[in-house]
Parts: sequence; C-alpha cells; structure tokens
Amino acid sequence: MWRKIWKHKVEFYPYFSIYLFWFVGSFLSSLRVQNRPGIVTLGLITIPSILLITIAFVKTYKELPAD
Amino acid sequence: MEHEMKFPPPAIPGYDNKFVLWVSVILIIVVLYSTYLHHFRPQILRVPSNTDVSTWTNPKFEETCVYDRMSDAERAKVRAEGVPGNTLGDILFLDISSILVALLCFFHARKHYGKWMAFCFLIGSFVFTGLQESMWILYGRFTGTSAMVGLGEQVYGTYWFTKGGLWFFETPVSMCLGWFYVAYGCVWMASKALPKSGLVKRAVLGGLLAMTVDLWMDPVATSPELMSWVWATGDIIRIFGIPQTNFLGWFLLIFVFAILWETLPLWEKRLGRAKATGYFFIVVIAADLAVLAFQYPWCRALRGILVAMGFQHGLQIPPGW
Repeated sequence: MWRKIWKHKVEFYPYFSIYLFWFVGSFLSSLRVQNRPGIVTLGLITIPSILLITIAFVKTYKELPAD
Repeated sequence: MEHEMKFPPPAIPGYDNKFVLWVSVILIIVVLYSTYLHHFRPQILRVPSNTDVSTWTNPKFEETCVYDRMSDAERAKVRAEGVPGNTLGDILFLDISSILVALLCFFHARKHYGKWMAFCFLIGSFVFTGLQESMWILYGRFTGTSAMVGLGEQVYGTYWFTKGGLWFFETPVSMCLGWFYVAYGCVWMASKALPKSGLVKRAVLGGLLAMTVDLWMDPVATSPELMSWVWATGDIIRIFGIPQTNFLGWFLLIFVFAILWETLPLWEKRLGRAKATGYFFIVVIAADLAVLAFQYPWCRALRGILVAMGFQHGLQIPPGW
C-alpha cells in the first residue's frame, strides 16, 4: 500500500497539504495554548471534515492504476 | 472538478509560458515593494507595532478580541514584551513551509489541469485573497470602522496580521499561499467525495470543508499565546472568540472562487485563451469587491434578527470565549 501511494505521490499532495494545515497549524499549535483547556477539544468540530477527507483519500487510492 | 472538465484545456506553450513569466514578474514586484513598505516604511500604511502595543489605534489594544480573552497577567506581559513568537525563526518557518506546501498543490494542479489552469488557480487565489484581506485590513485601520455592526458595544476597526516575512499589500504571503492550498485541496476533495454532483454543490461542500477546518485554526492562531492576527471587538456574533464575518468570508471566497475557476475553460472556448485570462482576473477582482460589499447588508440583517429576538449584546458562542 505505502509503495503504491509513494509511486503515485502527486495524487496525494492535496491531502498531505490539508493534513499539514490541520495537524501542524491547528493541533500542534493548540498544544501551545495554555489558557484555554478546551482548545484541543475544539478540534472535534473538524471531525466531519476529517471524515470527508478520509472518504476522498480512499476513493483516490482505489482509483490508482494497478501495479 | 475533473469530473465535469473531461478534457482540461490543451497547452499553448507560446502563450502559457509568456503568461506565467509576466504574471510572476508583476507579482514578485508587488510582493517586494509591499514587503519593503511593511518592514522599512511602516508609517505609510500605519502598520501596528509588534513591540509596543500601547501605540495601537483602530483598534487600541484594549479594543481587541484577544484583550478580552487575556488574563491580567497576560495583558501585562504583552504590554511589556509585545506580540509573542515574532522571531526571525518563526517567520522563516511560516514563509518557507507555506511556499513548499503550496508547491505540492501546484504540482498536483498542473498534472491534472495543465500549466495555464494551475497557474490561474495559484495566482487568482493569491490575488483574490490577498486583495480581499488587505482591503479589509486597511479599511479598518484607516477609518476605525467595519462592516461589522456592534450590539451593545462599539466597533473600532477590523483586524490585521502580526507575522510575516514577505507581504502582498498588508497580507502575509504565507496567508495568501495558505489560502491557495486550502482552497485547492478542499475543492478537489469535495469533487472526489461527491463525483456526480454539480458545480455549485461541490463549491458549497469545498467552502464548508475549508470553513470547518478554519474553525479550529483561527481560535488557536488568535490566542494570547500566538496572536498571529488580531481582531477588533464589536461583531454581533463571536464564535470561539472570532467574529462571524471571518467564517462567512472563508466560505464565500472559496465558494465564489471555485465557481469562477471552473468556468474558465468555458470562457476560453468562447473568447480564446488570452481574453479568457484577462476576463477571469477582472471577474475575480469584481467578485472580491462584491464579497466585501455583501458583508454590509449581511451584518445589518443579522443585527436586526438579534434585536428582534430581544438581544441587547452581541452573542459569544460558547459563552466566555
């Protein structure tokens, strides 16, 4: 699976970008925010988006040509 | 995107290369000049100081959302030390990482849509968001007013960004590029998740997707620990400490831009590539102004609804943020 993804890595660049934005920009940064204990929990808001991104990711993977 | 656009426009190397060259040259000149003005002539655009918050006007430090969210100790710290995390290392990381991530999305777009379409998305979204944000920022800074209408509190301006190495007018280049890869990624994913749906549905889903991702990002980035951008108080609804106009703006901009960009091949068929490119950029700028203008009736209508419901102060969702 990973070899296949690596071979067609360009197809996954948009997912990687959004993941970085979400993980580094929101999750890691929120760990630095001390005065709002609920700020990491706030990330629950993004669950629908993460689900949709996962669906799109799986579809992209399934559409890849067989090796 | 791809599903409706079965045949991305073929390359016209002579035109495409000239277009990329000239647009890049113009953009680089604007970015270099804006960066010079921001860092070396801050008095011209009244850039707020990152080291002395007592000099802030439109709004003053005490008239910002972040001030409301701070403890007394945090306020004293910012007054003494200025905006946190504004080191050269932070700024370089932000600029370089956003350029690298934007490049990844650009490679993907070029592979699927060709150089011309990919470059129109990159430059179009860069200019679309950079102009929109800069107009908002400068309007608030120079007039002390906003499209936001207060309910039980005064409005003192709009917002501004505190961190960035390279600038496009008063918007950091990292934000313009961030908007490009979030918009491109979300619209692409929406088209993958709902392949049989029409253009409007996909644009709506892409806009909503970006908006929900931003719902977590903004409260973090505007927190007292980071202060990456600073909002004036006064909007009638604040969601996690962020004025609702921000989320409305995210949705509208991505929705409108996705529709314009996907219509580009149709314009090309009718007008030819050169005229379609010019038309695209004119419409993008006009749409920018239209989205900005839309905020006025929207904010007034929302205020009317809240007043009719008996509210005497703006809403904070959840309370205390």
